[in-house]
Amino acid sequence: MGADKVDGKASGRAGGSFNNKSIETAATGAQRRPRPAARTLKSQAMAWRMLRASLTRRRARVVIALLAVAIGATALSALAAIAIDIPRQMAREMRAYGANLLILPEPGRQTVPASTTAQIDGLVGDGDLLGRAPYRYQTVRINSQPYLAAGTDLAAVRQVSPYWQVEGEWPSRDGQLLVGADIAAWIGLAPGDGVELEMGDSKQRFTASGVLSTGGGEDSLIVMGLEDLGQLAGESGQYDLIEYSVAVSGGDVEALADRVNATVSGVSAAGVKRLTESDAYVLGLLKSLLGLIAVIVLALTMIGVSTTMMAVVAERRAEIALRKALGASNRSVEREFLGEALALGALGGALGAALGHLCAELISRNVFHRHIGVTWWLPLVAVVASTAVAWAASLIPVRRAAEVDPAIVLREE
Amino acid sequence: MPAEDEEKGEPMTDLLELQNVSKTYGGLHALASLSLTVPRGQWLSVVGPSGSGKTTLMNIVGCLDRASSGRVVLDGVELGGLRSRDLTEIRRNTVGLIFQKFHLIPHLTAVENVMTAQYYHSMVDEAEALAALERVGLRQRAAHLPSQLSGGEQQRVCIARALINYPALILADEPTGNLDADNEEIVLEIFRGLHAEGTTLIVVTHDPTVAAQGQREIALDHGRLVKEVFHGR
Repeated sequence: MGADKVDGKASGRAGGSFNNKSIETAATGAQRRPRPAARTLKSQAMAWRMLRASLTRRRARVVIALLAVAIGATALSALAAIAIDIPRQMAREMRAYGANLLILPEPGRQTVPASTTAQIDGLVGDGDLLGRAPYRYQTVRINSQPYLAAGTDLAAVRQVSPYWQVEGEWPSRDGQLLVGADIAAWIGLAPGDGVELEMGDSKQRFTASGVLSTGGGEDSLIVMGLEDLGQLAGESGQYDLIEYSVAVSGGDVEALADRVNATVSGVSAAGVKRLTESDAYVLGLLKSLLGLIAVIVLALTMIGVSTTMMAVVAERRAEIALRKALGASNRSVEREFLGEALALGALGGALGAALGHLCAELISRNVFHRHIGVTWWLPLVAVVASTAVAWAASLIPVRRAAEVDPAIVLREE
Repeated sequence: MPAEDEEKGEPMTDLLELQNVSKTYGGLHALASLSLTVPRGQWLSVVGPSGSGKTTLMNIVGCLDRASSGRVVLDGVELGGLRSRDLTEIRRNTVGLIFQKFHLIPHLTAVENVMTAQYYHSMVDEAEALAALERVGLRQRAAHLPSQLSGGEQQRVCIARALINYPALILADEPTGNLDADNEEIVLEIFRGLHAEGTTLIVVTHDPTVAAQGQREIALDHGRLVKEVFHGR
């Protein structure tokens, strides 16, 4: 260090440049420490270098702090992923209880034209359409006694009404039908028995492949293929009702019904109130529960991260004192340590977002037996939230540490 | 205490001036009406038993603490009444600190420790930091962490860090207190070189050999100056 420096640093040797300087100049160092762009860039590079060194060379401490953040971020992002995906999952689960959207003829019309189904299907969307079962009802006679027969798409019924219990077998070809349990009991039919149906002058013999029991009105129905009923009745292409099973729930079903009513002429759509309300109730309960757990996890994360950061900062008290002895301002110390907290928060958040997705996937597969949906913005929110939590949790310990008296701390050390 | 630099024949201006400086902690007088001037370029040794006020004097001169009363002028600036951040600024620009326990940042390499002082002072310059390490004989150890250095090497890094910003005053608190004889001699040799170049040194020490290296030696006891010796260098 033989020569005076050209970047504005002063020589400390006898006869140097310190004579007759004003307090203000000495205190601010304004003349000695110009801040050209090069200096700022080099300072920033050094700040990054110190940050990198702190994160990579204090591995044990960094891993502990990182885990504190990552555990919270994992729990929160898993909860959020489940909370976001639950309506979709639940809507599908709830469809085990039957259709949730009914299409009826609009008032003044007798039937729903078959041609409207394509239009309604389009409004529902392929992704949400789980099944669609059209029904045509006719009165038939067995042994001169009248019974109500329903013609439907039997394959679709199995999707829309998976709760139907059939003793025997589902019809697999023309000429087979299901007999409701009550009718079977009245007339003494068992699976495999033949039965003759009459409608007007038309008669046809069928085989009762199975006995249907649902505990509801279906137990008093004869259920058969639409074509079989059409042949018996001598008509086709008209429905009395179409049941839709749609993977949306609660208010979304009502909104869909409104869209159908507004768009498709000749029909009247309505949600199955019993199901949409129970959907909404169960979902509301689940969401409240998840929200409560999320708040508790967030509070625990804040405490955990804050405690960890307090310990990390306390451990580096001597380093902070030294930095201050070397001329660091409180603000500079705060900036450096909060910078580390932000970096730890971002890294922990990224780790937590990945682990959270895995946890959510695990839960979803075990509870709902389906893959969790991917929400592209969730990892971003996890990183931002973790960074904010790490920053907030570090603020008080760092500010307190920046107030240390370097003389006292260095003497203690 | 105005003095003449006899060798150079130039008037020596005072770098440090203390007038009736006292420091009390509760009822305890750490410094009691101490008056002292230190000309630029002087090597002053401060000796005294534990509790004599040496460290308090160092802290006040190093802008780490304030006097309870009296006047302290460092490098032309009166320290009394300055705000904390102004004292930090003066310490950053004017004083180089050397500690008995080195106080290096453990996760930074030797050269990074030196650069830290540059970072808080002005512009970071790695080549210059390496040159400072070369001067204390540690160029080859620049990339080592403090834990990979011996005590003597750590103290030399501490010296390089203190020198890097060309401070007007080097304050060394027991700089050889934790060193063996060989390393003590290396450190003293560096001090001799600095002194020869005109750097002002104030060295607190218990070691009479180290104290005798200075141009001037003062002894404190109960916060008072009880003895002053000029070694004639």
